[in-house]
Amino acid sequence: MARFILQRLMAALVTIWIATIAVTILIHLVPGDPVRIMYGSFQTTPEELEAIRVRLGLDQPIWRQYLMYLGRLLHGDFGNSIVGDQPVIDILMTRFPSTLALTLSSLFIAVVVGMSLGFLAAYKRGTWVDVSAMVLAIVGVSMPHFWLGLLLLFLFALQLQWLPVAGGDWRSLILPALTLGLANAAVLARLTRSAMIDIFDQDFVRTAHAKGLPKSIVLYRHALRSGLVPVVSMLGLQFAYLMGGAIVVENVFAWNGVGRLAIEAVFARDYPLIQGFILFFAIIVALASVVIDVAYAFLDPRIRYS
Amino acid sequence: MVHGTTAELADDLATNGSARSRGFWRALLASPSGMIGLAIVGLLVFSALAAPLLAPFDPLRMAAGPRLDPPSAAHWMGTDDFGRDVLSRIIYGARLTLQIGVIAVGISLTCGLLLGLVAGYSSGWTERILMRLVDVLFSFTEIVIALACLAIFGVGLTNAMIAIGIASIPFYARVTHSVVLVEKGKPYFEAAIAAGAGHGRLIFLHLLPNVIPTLIVIGTLGVSTAVLAAAGLSFLGLGAQPPQPEWGFMLSSSRDLISRAPWMMIFPGLAIAITVLGFNLLGDGVREALDPRQRQR
Repeated sequence: MARFILQRLMAALVTIWIATIAVTILIHLVPGDPVRIMYGSFQTTPEELEAIRVRLGLDQPIWRQYLMYLGRLLHGDFGNSIVGDQPVIDILMTRFPSTLALTLSSLFIAVVVGMSLGFLAAYKRGTWVDVSAMVLAIVGVSMPHFWLGLLLLFLFALQLQWLPVAGGDWRSLILPALTLGLANAAVLARLTRSAMIDIFDQDFVRTAHAKGLPKSIVLYRHALRSGLVPVVSMLGLQFAYLMGGAIVVENVFAWNGVGRLAIEAVFARDYPLIQGFILFFAIIVALASVVIDVAYAFLDPRIRYS
Repeated sequence: MVHGTTAELADDLATNGSARSRGFWRALLASPSGMIGLAIVGLLVFSALAAPLLAPFDPLRMAAGPRLDPPSAAHWMGTDDFGRDVLSRIIYGARLTLQIGVIAVGISLTCGLLLGLVAGYSSGWTERILMRLVDVLFSFTEIVIALACLAIFGVGLTNAMIAIGIASIPFYARVTHSVVLVEKGKPYFEAAIAAGAGHGRLIFLHLLPNVIPTLIVIGTLGVSTAVLAAAGLSFLGLGAQPPQPEWGFMLSSSRDLISRAPWMMIFPGLAIAITVLGFNLLGDGVREALDPRQRQR
């Protein structure tokens, strides 16, 4: 198991390392002078721009810039933002708990709703329950997050006034989490159905039925446990998708997370903040996938030895 | 002898190909999802082509009616805060939507196909490095790659299309790579190598035609992803700019007026959802038609 965890950690480190190269190159791909683009609106003189270029190390060859950047990163320094001149890591860490709360609560909704719907559809395969569940799933997959968010906002916050439009407490988390969770539940429902149908057709499930085991034991102890293995393996990717989806949903509900911050940074052309966001996103997603892979390996020992 | 055999084989493939093509269309039209998807996509293409004939007003014309006028006989989907006809903007929006879908998928499909083919065919270090890179990019998710591209190019609809195209390359590369690996293991490919076929012949005559059917399926499904992503970027203000009648941007403009003019939010959202649903259903239908085993599921 230790070897497996080490392998997964190494893969995560490679991902993070490639991300550091990508964000260093990013600023050099900007057409024109990035310093002028970033600071041009601040009424700076050419001398001041040159001083900024030296301060940011942009006058150095790209390999040296990369090594300097990597050195700073190892000390936890992601640079300073252009707007407000604050440490990027501090801004990200202030906003991250909100995004994490949104991502985890929507993952919970997606898993509970999606897997139940998929399981039910597979169990009642070919009936109206299956058809309705899959129609619901394909409609869910096709619905834009932000539109679903606006519809929920219109219905529950403006018309029925059950929930707040925005704010910072747990009640204001319900609508964004539902928006993000329901949209991803549709994907998980389709996956679960497909996986469960494969399992229901397997000999061991038929044998369990033939042995006369109670239906509930066959369903929950035999079929469900095996059927959910491929679905659980997708949770790492689902987590990444939810983190990505949070960028849009946070903007619908004015939720103060890193996603909203990223959009503000793109508008302001705040490159240190954009670089910091991409790297931060890569680190979180890489670490989350290690955690999920390890949890998955505990569930299915075959993974550890493959 | 070899030439004769090759020619016979080509004839055989061509005959089977056209029979397969007839079978494909029959299977597509026989599947409910394929039929509905084809009808929705057909309607979208028709709206885009015949927009000047179908739209009752110029989509950019201000004060085509009273401001924030609810749906009525004169304005079926109401008017927006500038008095522009929402229906006309939605009909013209179909043009932009199709354009986004085709350009974004075109970019990702072409580059992904090339990358996947090179990685799958070459094997060894080239394959390992390319696929590791693809895996890393894949884990970033499309929206983050698209944001990075927009941070480089600047905001705007054209840049958003390119950004979405680039963001999806890892997905197409991954699929192409896995199909190439499967094809390389088949006896016909080994026979072609044994017959002395060159790299070009192996890639373009043997691998490529077998990768294309899978790419058609994921390309069709990919249009729906591209449409959703572009609408999302426009909704955030990073894609279409005023006064373009782009559906995501129209939704974004409706945000502050939801309680006063909900129709400004309902109809563009419905247009995006139906379009995405259409391409998803069509993709499912094409998959079923190309792989009959799927029909049993």
